[in-house]
Formats: sequence, C-alpha cells, structure tokens
Amino acid sequence: MLSRFFESLYHKVFVNIVVLRSKTIVLIETVGNNGIMENIEESFNTTSLDDNMYNFISSYTNESPFYYVSLLDKTLSQGASPTCEKAQMDNYFDRSLSQYTCYHNRWVYYTSKVDIHSLQKEYSRVGVDFIFSPFVVLSQFFKDKIDTNMAMFILVEDTFVTLCIFDNSELLYAKHLDMEHYKGDDELLMEDQESNEIELDLAIDGDMNLEEIDADELDNLGDIEDLDSLDDLDEFSDAKDIEEELQENLEEMPVHEVDSFNEDYQRFLLIQGALNDFYKNDKHASQFIETVYIADGVGISGDLKRYLEEEMFLNVYIRNMDINVEICELAKAELK
Amino acid sequence: MRYSYIKPRRKSIFTAELQLLFVFFGITVFMLFLTYAFLLFKDYRFSQDVKDIDTKRVALNINIANMKKQITFIEKENLLSERIYTQNMVLKDSITNLFDLVPQRITLSEAKLLKNGLILYGITPNKDIYNFMLQAPLRSIFHKTYSSFYPLKNGWFRFVSTNYIDDNEVDDEIDNILNTDDEVKNES
Repeated sequence: MLSRFFESLYHKVFVNIVVLRSKTIVLIETVGNNGIMENIEESFNTTSLDDNMYNFISSYTNESPFYYVSLLDKTLSQGASPTCEKAQMDNYFDRSLSQYTCYHNRWVYYTSKVDIHSLQKEYSRVGVDFIFSPFVVLSQFFKDKIDTNMAMFILVEDTFVTLCIFDNSELLYAKHLDMEHYKGDDELLMEDQESNEIELDLAIDGDMNLEEIDADELDNLGDIEDLDSLDDLDEFSDAKDIEEELQENLEEMPVHEVDSFNEDYQRFLLIQGALNDFYKNDKHASQFIETVYIADGVGISGDLKRYLEEEMFLNVYIRNMDINVEICELAKAELK
Repeated sequence: MRYSYIKPRRKSIFTAELQLLFVFFGITVFMLFLTYAFLLFKDYRFSQDVKDIDTKRVALNINIANMKKQITFIEKENLLSERIYTQNMVLKDSITNLFDLVPQRITLSEAKLLKNGLILYGITPNKDIYNFMLQAPLRSIFHKTYSSFYPLKNGWFRFVSTNYIDDNEVDDEIDNILNTDDEVKNES
C-alpha cells in the first residue's frame, strides 16, 4: 500500500535495449500517471555497454528509482516447445540447464541459464529487470492472428529470424535462427559457385583439348544436353529465371541494397529450411502452411515476400514492428 | 502475466542519494532539537535567576526599610543624647553657678539634685543673707522656690531650700532648640 503510494509519486522509466549486428538501440520511455511523458531513442555504435551508453541510460534512470531495464534475448540456445507439462518438456530441451516460462499454460519458451547469467553480468552496471524472448514478442505482436489462424509467424530482426507455426494458438513448431551462424555455410556455397564459374571460364578461354576429356565427362555433358532439351520442366526454368533475375538485380543495385538483398535471400533460405524441417520431422504435427505473417523489425525489401510467394506458394502478410516499443509494452504488461 | 525470464529487481525510493539526504536532515533536526533544548534550559535558568533577583530585591528593600528605621532611631537617639548632653551641660553649669552663687557666709550641708529640682540644706547666719544672696539667684534659675528656716541655738538658721523647674517649659525650650537645628540643616 505504502509502496504503491510512493510509486505514484514518481514516474516510471522504461529502458529498452536491443543489440543489433554492429550497434545498439536504446529506447527510453518515461511514463507518468497521465501516460507517456517522454520517448527517446538513441543509437550507439557498439554492441556492449560502454561509457557513452551507460551515461545516457544513467541520465534517465537517476530521475526515478522506479526504472526498469529490458533486454531482448538473442542467444542461440533458445527455443519454444508446444507443451507446459514438465514431463513432456524433457523431449524438447534440458530443463536443468534452461530457464523457461509457460505462455498462458499452452506452450513454453526457454533459453540457457548460462546465457541469462552472462546477459545479467554484461549489463550489471545498469542492472537488468526483464529479459524477453523473441517468441513472446512475436506472440504478443500477432496475438489477434494467432488466436484465429493456422499460419506461420516470423519475426525478422537484424541478425536473427524467429519462426513459429501456430494452429489456432496451439504451437506446432518454433525455431530461432541466427543469420550470422548461417552465413558461413552460405559464403562457402557462394565461393564454390564462384570457383566453378572461374574454372569454367578458364576452360572456355583457354585451348580446349577434346582428347583430354574423359568419356565419363562426355556422358555427363550428354546428361546436361538432355536436361536442356526438357523445355517443359517449369520448375527448372523458373529457377533459372530467378537466378538470372537475381544476377541482374545484383548488377543494378547499389552496395547497401545488395547487402539487403543478400540478407533477404539468407532469410528466405532459413525460412525454407525451417519449413522443410517442420514438414519432414515426425516430432511435429505436420500441417500444410498456406499463410505467413511477418513482423518486420528491420525493414526488409520486397524480395523476401516475393521469394516466399513464388518459391513456396505462401500468402505473405508483412506488418512493420518497432521491436523496442514491443519490448517496452511487454515490460509495462508485466508490471500490471 | 509473466513474460520475462527473470523477475524485476525490488525497487525502493530510498536510493543512496535519498539516504544521504535523510542522514543530513536527521543531523540537522537533531541539532535544531539540541539548540531548542539548550534555549529552553537557558530560558528556565534565566527565569529562575529573575525570581532569585526579585527575592533578593525584596529582601534588600526590606533591609533598606529596616536600616532607614534604624537610622531614624539612631538620629532620634543622637538627638536625645545631644539633648541629655545639653541638659547635663546645663545642669553642670547650673551646679557650678549654684556653687558660685552660694556666698561664703552660708554653709551648705547637703544638696539633692532632682530631675526637675534642687533641694539645698545648709546654715545661714540670718534670713536676710539667705534671701538676698542665695534665694535671688535661685529664683532666676528655677521656676518654683520654697524655703523653710529652723533656728539654731547659736542664733543661726538651718534652712531647706526646695527649687523646681517646670517640665513643660523645659521641653518647649528643647523643642525650640531642635527646631532651630532642623532649620539650619534644611538650609544647608
């Protein structure tokens, strides 16, 4: 009662920190008895808590003892599973090593205890009050759609993609995918492609000695010719068209757009891989996905939507999201 | 509804700055209280001193009144002594004059000095010598004079002379003397 009285005398300060690939966005929201008083967003070119960021945060947290620091969990070891029964949870993750919370007693999201401790330690100078899972952010953001639809829901952020499949608020599948982790394989793939092309060019430019070509190789060539003759293979021709289109786009686009394009392509591959896993893995109750809702927290280009529509025949709906604002709303909701 | 992996830290309005502020406030209030208590104590002491001084003043006033009374009494005593001294001097002079008045032919056998009178016993050769040479000066000094004669065998007379001074007249004279003294003091 007394604490409530004192709380009403001060305004609340919500500090929301989201770490991106090369910078950190800090959103400060000051809330009084009559609503939001102040809303400041500041970007810092660092991924850790440096003096500049600390001073910026302290300048607001010093104004009121009732300040709350919220973080978004971006660790790799997190996930979600479709049950809240402890016995069944063990099928999905190690409970002894994980910190987990049930969402409306329907499904559970979890992360590593070690990661939580390291996050708390990293931000110990300002202190941490809330660590939110991207699964919760996604669920709250698409709450209206999750309750009434069977669809895939994707949270797209700078360096990760969080993916959930819900059937009328029942979780079927969830995956947290890190783009930086995936990038290595992709680059290797690209390098292989490039080296093949270079070898091919050298072979064309240089004197080609047909006698040195093995019969097996000639057989392979013959197979390729057979493939070329198959004009009625729509999928193959479509794929070729897309590759050509991608190549053209790459040449026309400025550098940053090329990066964006690459990222969207990576995201597409991640989503495609996750959806394949959902379909193929017997552990999940597999159902055909027709619709995908994307929470865009980074400003994706139209390419991702096009890939998903053209390649995976999905109905794509994109809703823009400020992830800092969503985290702030979650912090407010938790305090109520 | 809980969404976060961790619980928020307990918030308190008593931050380090506020605690410091309360400590300083506490010290200030304590010092003010001490000052107030000191002033109360001094005020109490002051009122006690005032009461003591009042009591002393009253006592001194009483003493002064007593001393004034004593001074008045001493002044009266002084006046009385002066009066007695004057009377004695007058008496002494009177006696000296008396003995000077007694002629050689009259012999005094006894003299009684009374408060307001003189009784003389003696022998005179005859009544005339007594009447002319002793009674006349006595009458000038005393207001009332009575003489009795007893004849002796050798023809002389034993006499008893009783002389009185009127008291009221003596007092009036002394008062006159005192009044003249007071007038002299006032003028000075």
